[in-house]
Amino acid sequence: MNDQICVGAIAGAFGVNGEVRLKSFTATPEDIATYSPLTSEDGKQSFEITLNRPIPNGFAARLSGVATKEQADSLRGLRLFTTRDRLPNLPDNEYYHADLIGVSVYDGGGTLLGTVKDVTNHGAGDMLEVQLPKTNDTVFLPFTNDAVPTVDLASGRIVADPPDGLF
Amino acid sequence: MSRSVWKGPFVDAYVLKKAEAARESGRKEVIKIWSRRSTILPQFVGLTFGVYNGRKHITVNVSEDMIGQKFGEYSPTRTYHGHAADKKAKRK
Repeated sequence: MNDQICVGAIAGAFGVNGEVRLKSFTATPEDIATYSPLTSEDGKQSFEITLNRPIPNGFAARLSGVATKEQADSLRGLRLFTTRDRLPNLPDNEYYHADLIGVSVYDGGGTLLGTVKDVTNHGAGDMLEVQLPKTNDTVFLPFTNDAVPTVDLASGRIVADPPDGLF
Repeated sequence: MSRSVWKGPFVDAYVLKKAEAARESGRKEVIKIWSRRSTILPQFVGLTFGVYNGRKHITVNVSEDMIGQKFGEYSPTRTYHGHAADKKAKRK
């Protein structure tokens, strides 16, 4: 489980007064400000974020320590991270995608089925995209109590009871 | 222009046959179909279909609120991987 979680990115300067164009990757875009201060991937830079107004594809935002357009432009492409422990706790049976990605999936007999590559929802409920071992092929496992009876994040293990013909 | 009501919903015949066979067998299995144009009928609720998207079969658990839609709506043909960030998944 990766401790750092990417929640946004800086797309460049917005205007000439030192504002930045901020892209948010959070489920509710405005929530990116609640995880402030955000850091760069190496942790060397840290920014307090103030969202000023929504703009197409993001927000016009002000970052602490960024006062001019030149400074804002120099940050173009910078991805912004928070730490996993800053995300609020969830009720039972709810999981962060970031926690599920990378977890190994086993069947009831202990055979490795694959690794969770992504969590998707195409309109028919949440699904785990499981990458099969030693291949790039993936299958979609419904994230239901029937198909996924056990999720043990502490040991990095999901036990699945997939329908016949899926794997 | 919408479809005339007297015709009833369109479903490929083989989908009906496969669904009926799966329901009679009572086994938990993925019913692989290629018919994205078929309408989801009430008798499909509770079954699991694998709907072809041109590359592979996408698993679709049919629930009541999907009745009347087409299978293809739940099997996207383009790949998009967003950022996980703080997104949540609920196990139902």
